[in-house]
Amino acid sequence: MTPHPNTPGKEGPLTTTVPTGAERISAPVHVSGPDAPWHRVREAMDRYGNAVVHTTWGEWLTAVVAEPALRPLLGRDWQRYRRTADPTVRYRFVASRLATKYTAAAALHTDPVELDLAYKIGGRPYLRGLDQIDVSLTHTDDLIAVGVSRDGRIGVDAEPADRRMSYELLSRHVLTPAERADLERLTDAERTAAMLRLWTLKEAYTKALGQGLRLGFTEFGFGADGGDLLAPDGGPAARGEWAFATHRVLGRYLLSVARHDAGLDSSRDTAAHTMLDEGFMGAVTELLY
Amino acid sequence: MTITAETIHFPGAPFGRTEADALARAARLEALLGDPYDPANPHGLRALFAADDRRVRPAETETLLAEAGLGAEFVPVAYGGRLTRADLLARALRPVFRRDVALGFGYGITSLFAAGAVWAAGSTRQRQDVADLLLRGGRATILHHELAHANAILRHEFSARTAAGGYRLDGRKDVIINADRADLQVVYARTDTARGPRSHSVFLLDPAAAGPGRIRHLPRVELPGMRGALFSGLEFTGAPVPAEALVGGEGDGVGMALQVFQVNRSVICGVVTSAAGTVLHSAMRAATDGREGPVAKRWHTPLTGVFADLLAGDAMATVVLRALSLLPAQAHLFAAAVKYVVPDLLREDLQELATVLGARGYDHAGPEYGALDKLVRDLPVAGLGHAGSASCQAVLVPQLRGLAERSWFSEDEPPSELFRAGSELPDLDYRLLGIAGGGDFMAASLVGSAARLAAARGTRGTRGALAGLAEAFVTELRALQEQCRRLPTSGAALTDPAVIVLSDRYAGIVGAAAVLGVWESQDGTDPFLADPAWAVLALSRLAGRLGVPVPDLPDGIQEQVLDELVRRYREGLSYDLDTVAHAL
Repeated sequence: MTPHPNTPGKEGPLTTTVPTGAERISAPVHVSGPDAPWHRVREAMDRYGNAVVHTTWGEWLTAVVAEPALRPLLGRDWQRYRRTADPTVRYRFVASRLATKYTAAAALHTDPVELDLAYKIGGRPYLRGLDQIDVSLTHTDDLIAVGVSRDGRIGVDAEPADRRMSYELLSRHVLTPAERADLERLTDAERTAAMLRLWTLKEAYTKALGQGLRLGFTEFGFGADGGDLLAPDGGPAARGEWAFATHRVLGRYLLSVARHDAGLDSSRDTAAHTMLDEGFMGAVTELLY
Repeated sequence: MTITAETIHFPGAPFGRTEADALARAARLEALLGDPYDPANPHGLRALFAADDRRVRPAETETLLAEAGLGAEFVPVAYGGRLTRADLLARALRPVFRRDVALGFGYGITSLFAAGAVWAAGSTRQRQDVADLLLRGGRATILHHELAHANAILRHEFSARTAAGGYRLDGRKDVIINADRADLQVVYARTDTARGPRSHSVFLLDPAAAGPGRIRHLPRVELPGMRGALFSGLEFTGAPVPAEALVGGEGDGVGMALQVFQVNRSVICGVVTSAAGTVLHSAMRAATDGREGPVAKRWHTPLTGVFADLLAGDAMATVVLRALSLLPAQAHLFAAAVKYVVPDLLREDLQELATVLGARGYDHAGPEYGALDKLVRDLPVAGLGHAGSASCQAVLVPQLRGLAERSWFSEDEPPSELFRAGSELPDLDYRLLGIAGGGDFMAASLVGSAARLAAARGTRGTRGALAGLAEAFVTELRALQEQCRRLPTSGAALTDPAVIVLSDRYAGIVGAAAVLGVWESQDGTDPFLADPAWAVLALSRLAGRLGVPVPDLPDGIQEQVLDELVRRYREGLSYDLDTVAHAL
């Protein structure tokens, strides 16, 4: 978010309307393997400060089989890849890591093999040493989705759109009282769809925080129109620093994105090779050599 | 090579200007500020959160701090203030930061960050002017130059061109803390259009003397964090600057920034950990509120993990703050590493605590649970986010090859005073602070700690676990050494991401060294800190962050740390290495 000076004018401070998630989160872009149109990630980063891509693991199969540099590309994930016996699980694993690295590399204007994809204690992936972007990864069935953002945390979650979550069985474990009240008013079909949408939003939010299911899903909620983070009683829980969006992708998946804005109006330049200050580097180097 | 600064005592100053003295000052301030959880306390969290919500400065509390003479903390004793050592300064300021990071920056510490250049290179007259101002409750602010990947706070800069009698200053910067009320401005202005280490110079300006129409105050800029501090812009148009306003020599600005920033970075780490302690306190309240029995099992990992991180963060900050006094020529490296590690550690910790707080964390106005929301917003402003990390990496990256070739596994360990609580240390002297070279005392300390623990390696119990972890970090340092030896000495290749990544691993390794050093230096006065349990938990988390394989922890570690955490919560003690009593 750009800090908005309250420019004094005849009418007093400008009032700005809080943009909706759709205005602050890039629409998902389909990528088809290593040769995907990566410039679309850079365009989305320029325009929104974030980018969301989706792909299917089959689109990375050739790369997985043929990639001579798979080991350096996987880095510390190589051991896990080697240990995984089930070929489907193996390919999905490697495809999701490659998709993450290629997406991050596009945002960082660099080569994926240069990156060290690491994991925080809660399991949240990040690019070691390059904190100008945050990343999130999700996969379900054959779908892989990756989110990157330069403004703060980002979380993505996808589920098959036809997945049925039983309202009767799950609502008390997943929904806040305010959300249950909202959903009670809907028809059965609407309620099922709303339940799945809320589930993906909740997953996306807790993944953005790097906590997954450790944060109870009944501790926070979303409004009926999906845009705002709410306390369990339906009161506001944030001041517009969070944005949320849900999309249907490939016609059969629901993909939700949660994005936090730490509010520093971070540099639009997220390239890795421009991040070390020349003056500082120069002054240090001058004394060393 | 280890150069130890000399301990100097100013004539007439009592010999006891030590930790005990700083902790006594902190205790007085703590008592003045009163119970943070009392809703009727005008300096309590409810009042401070309300000021934040209204985006106004907490005026009543600022008045209290002014009456307490807090400005003297930023002035060296030689000029009539109370500043002796940076580690003592951080301790004295913690009562303020524990309550409100924005108050700490907005009321005061910005003045020190600005004044640093004057303490480092100012003329006697400049020193006296700044000292007099701060001692009578005035303020200075800092007008940074623009750094790579600048965010709102670091974006834009001023330029100074030579003119009759001095310089003319031009330019505009939109986000400057206290720009509206600072009595003195310390400007890092560009004096050479060529890029490089001699591009900037520092000026000490009195805005009242600029002349009509030369300085324009720009509107306030509202950041989501530190809403109780005021950020606004300044525009200079051909503002005349007398030659005597130059601090140090022309072209010294970048070097001076590197000198001064290491103090600022280290102090920030030393105080924001106490703000995170307030959030841990609220999470403990959430985990125990209305509950008769022990803390629920599912909260053990986040609560003890964060407590261990806060102790580790304090260990890193305390060691680097002491190093600024004891090893001033070499502290730059560890200062960059600590500032790179600590804010990120705390950011993760706040997210972990968010799970414990759950919906209570959305009670933003209440003193019991509102600290999480506020610190989540304030911390990026204090740590400067990516631009802050990258400015540390710019210091680390060019030094890695030299360290790998000449320092690691061959240097002597630093003096034990570096780690030992209560040690007598020389006063901080900004003029002695180096900006590059001088070896790596923390890597040497890590290797020394691991060697002393080696006999316990492979044994059961916490000491064996600690020995194993120490060795794991040494192994990581050895692997890093192999990679760093192959680096180019300078040039564009250093900005390859695969090279930058190494600075992250380096910072994590030397951060661990501080935990080991502080644990080893315990004399048994505090049985909890003397036991290896906290250090094992802290190091296992640091190792996990580095991707270093961590063996299963021995039974009982988490329980031991949890017992101490519960004790400190119930008795109102701080969640740091000092275990000081808080106003309740």
